[in-house]
Amino acid sequence: MNDKKIKAADFDTTYVPKKSNPVVKVIIMILLIIWAGINIFPIYFMFTFSLKSNEEIFGLNVAGLPRDWIWSNYSRAMGTGNMGLYFLNSIIVTGASILISLIAAMMATYAITRIKWRGNKLTNAFFMLGLTIPIQASIVPVYVVLSRLHWLNKYSTLIIPYSAFALAMAILICTGFMVEIPFDLDEAARIDGCGLWRTFFRIIIPLMKPAYATIGIYSFLQCWNEFMFANVFISDSKHRTMPVGIQQLSGSYTTDWGPIGAALVIATFPTLLIYVFLSRRIQESFIAGAVKG
Amino acid sequence: MKKRLVSVLVAAVMALSLAACGAEGGAATPAGGGDAAGGSGDAPAATADAGSGEAITLNMWCIATESDSNRHSYEAAIADMAKNHPEITLNWEAIENQAYKTKIKAAVAADEMPDIFFTWSCAFLGDFVKANKVYCLDDAYKAYASELPEVMMGNSTYDGKHYGVPLTMNIVGLFANMDLLKQVGYDEIPGSYDEFIKCCDALKAANIIPFGCAGKETWCVTEYLESVIEKSVGADALNDIFLGRATWNNPDVGAAVDEFQKLVNNGYFDPSGAGLTNDEVKANFMAGKYAFYMNGTWNCADFAADEAFYQKVKVSEFPVINADKAKLGQLIGGPSDTLAVAASSPNAARAADYTFELGKLICHYGYLDGCGLPAWTPYGDTSGINGLTQAVSEICAKADSYVLFGDTAMSAEDATTYLSYVDQVYGCQVNGTQFIEGLAKDIR
Amino acid sequence: MTDQVVVKNPQAQRRKKNLILGFNIFLFLLPALFLFISILIAPIVVSVYRSFQDWNGMSAGKWCEPNIFQNYIDMFTNSVTMNFVVALKNSLILAFFSVFVQLPLSLGLALVLGRKPKGERFFLTVFFMPVLISTVVIGQLWLKIYNPDYGLLNSFLKLINLDTWTHIWVSDPKTALGSIIVPTIWQYVGYHMLLMYAGVKGVSPDLREAAMLDGATPGQVDRYVVIPIIKPIIRVSVIFAVTGSLKAYDLVFILTGGGPQKLTEVPSTLLQQQLFLANKYGMGSAISVMLIILCFAFALLITAVFREKDN
Repeated sequence: MNDKKIKAADFDTTYVPKKSNPVVKVIIMILLIIWAGINIFPIYFMFTFSLKSNEEIFGLNVAGLPRDWIWSNYSRAMGTGNMGLYFLNSIIVTGASILISLIAAMMATYAITRIKWRGNKLTNAFFMLGLTIPIQASIVPVYVVLSRLHWLNKYSTLIIPYSAFALAMAILICTGFMVEIPFDLDEAARIDGCGLWRTFFRIIIPLMKPAYATIGIYSFLQCWNEFMFANVFISDSKHRTMPVGIQQLSGSYTTDWGPIGAALVIATFPTLLIYVFLSRRIQESFIAGAVKG
Repeated sequence: MKKRLVSVLVAAVMALSLAACGAEGGAATPAGGGDAAGGSGDAPAATADAGSGEAITLNMWCIATESDSNRHSYEAAIADMAKNHPEITLNWEAIENQAYKTKIKAAVAADEMPDIFFTWSCAFLGDFVKANKVYCLDDAYKAYASELPEVMMGNSTYDGKHYGVPLTMNIVGLFANMDLLKQVGYDEIPGSYDEFIKCCDALKAANIIPFGCAGKETWCVTEYLESVIEKSVGADALNDIFLGRATWNNPDVGAAVDEFQKLVNNGYFDPSGAGLTNDEVKANFMAGKYAFYMNGTWNCADFAADEAFYQKVKVSEFPVINADKAKLGQLIGGPSDTLAVAASSPNAARAADYTFELGKLICHYGYLDGCGLPAWTPYGDTSGINGLTQAVSEICAKADSYVLFGDTAMSAEDATTYLSYVDQVYGCQVNGTQFIEGLAKDIR
Repeated sequence: MTDQVVVKNPQAQRRKKNLILGFNIFLFLLPALFLFISILIAPIVVSVYRSFQDWNGMSAGKWCEPNIFQNYIDMFTNSVTMNFVVALKNSLILAFFSVFVQLPLSLGLALVLGRKPKGERFFLTVFFMPVLISTVVIGQLWLKIYNPDYGLLNSFLKLINLDTWTHIWVSDPKTALGSIIVPTIWQYVGYHMLLMYAGVKGVSPDLREAAMLDGATPGQVDRYVVIPIIKPIIRVSVIFAVTGSLKAYDLVFILTGGGPQKLTEVPSTLLQQQLFLANKYGMGSAISVMLIILCFAFALLITAVFREKDN
């Protein structure tokens, strides 16, 4: 992604291709609509079956709107399924992981890109190893160490590994943003008598604001869905995150699809709603990551 | 009548060689290992005795999740314990069966076990005992010996020392939906194998699926396969193989596996079952989709709880296939559900006493609920127990010998290998000969 | 360490300054290094060490016998209990479909949306939605779609009288792998699309205009102007798709659990199984080491292939 030919996306261009075949246009539009349908339909299906009884789901009314809207499915998912708590846990774990990886990445990137020293290229390459290391590879040793330290069943049991695994991507994106801040600013700050730390806090941190959202989104995608660590490292239900909670719930309601559907909706819709409202900003931040990374 | 039945049952069970598994565990354990485990148990006992009465908190993990039929007996027993022992706070977590196996092993490996944990007896617990992670219950057992027969401790006894508190015992039962059987002209579950096969053919001809089996969970396949093998080669031969005293390379076993595959190839099994979990298959059986369902007798409680279905269902034992080697009364099962105490627990001695009392109550309520037969001597009024569980008691009362479930009897590594082969047999990827030769090669 | 900024000072002062600078650099790197080394690097070193052992996770491990590489040898020879070859093949099939079905689809969507059709925003938003849904949710949802008795897919096939097409999707050996591949690809089309869309949007309008003036059709503009420019992004997408396929776990675990008869195992499900069901920590470590090696090898290979094409 490190291509200097690409400049930041210019969204306000009002460029329209001059020659375009109307038939092709229609076909493309139809294909786009079909693909949109394929993307929306499972979400629609999930929402409708969360409100149905088994009779409807299993035959009478597989894909239509529910005839009786059984909202009690939701109270069952919230009550016995405890989805509210798991959702909150997921937010805490994901939020803290994003914050920690962001701080660590900012500091490291500053040292790598804006201070001149012999090992900076190598250090950068070292961190980039993290992009390809599979999270599964470290599960046993990390488990053994965390448990020796009696560090299981806490939020931090997940937060620390998640931050570590989000770090490589965060540094990659940070680098993209940070090299675009003019180096003259550092020079000016130094002449004014600012040390490394003051330059970092006074100049770099405020100027890096646009990067925060981007890093946040990439880290979010990594942490929010994580299942393997969450399943193995957390054994009490107090700190269980949502993916594990859902898996557990669908184990206990195997034959009763309504509450499972309700749990899936509870797990999904808040994020989707936030996304729909902020889609423009989220997409732009994501795109910025792609371009700058 | 019921009281008599139970005492007959207990007597019968006591006469059997249930301790076989424990003896094997003992033989495999180096003497030093056993002593060390015992030793580690002695030290905390002294300190904890002095502090008893002090308020403590104990943690427990089990598999009695909301959907588990044992859930109620745990809840009731724990509520009683809270009343009897206000000074002990119990925090308990129920974890889904498959996930639990992962979790408890990881916890044992890392010395992060809860004070009290659910375990399966024999090899599953044996692996932990060998690693000196389990508290020896010999001292605590003395106070309960009159209520808990020594023979019931057999599956959790290693090197002559007791490490587990058994709860209920279960066998594999052949459950039948009599409504469906009547449709093809059977009023009873066929008693002989030939009749049984004829019945299956008749069911198939009438578009009724004979067997439901969850292919997604291999242990469900073993419920069928082990019964077929046992009723072909006899209980002793199978037991010897499971416990490593005889080789897997036994042509009779191969023939039995081929016999099982014939059932599969004849289309007696529900093809969709391959993609379902046991809970889904069980629900299908209760909904009248299958005529037969071979599974543990812990299901009696759930079947009895469903008024309409309870009228239709009957339980029996699998018919004898080869009368020269096997006979009725040779069953698969035994006390397997067990509670154990972690050696690492700071209050191990008090946890041990607590576990015995808790185990007794869980067993009591579980028996009343029909979740299985009691490992402890039953007490109180047991007349309300459902007919299915009583039928199982009668089968057990006539029992000749028990072979513990294969995946419980074997060590984790061997059990994984064994289950892989069973899976392959069910999918018809290997035949009987390949099955016995492969296992003989891959298990030690 | 050299400080190129401060060169005029005498030797001693410079050394002192360098020391302070080095210390500061270290402080800046400290949080990242701590996380990175403790969670990624150290565990890998331990895994490599354990991978040569026969260790059950509880008692002391002993070196593998008769050959120190026994775990690695078993990995490729022990076919019934643990078929690593099949698992590897499955993840490569998954990688193949990711690269040759998912990415072209993403690229096509990105290019089309780059031409500013009506509803560009709407489509962009909708196509990215599945990425935000937890994989566990997607797995559970698709289980309901695949259910042999009541699932949406079979119900639909029966409705249009294609009864013979119905399958027990997740456990029929013929369809099991496919039933994992479809949702996996579906979920991440949007992710790669947005990455590529970013590149497409970055192509300067002048360049497009110039090509158009030369008489190029929109298709030709995409082919000869846009794609070459966004090649670095495509390369990254390919690397992510391939390493992602090697790491695949969640959907396999939820949909098939590796079944039927271990035909859909992937390295990560084997890893979990060896570690926690069979108590073979040594073998589990060997698998994780193998995974790391494979991920690196493929990342390097893909980079090399793209470099080759550039020349």
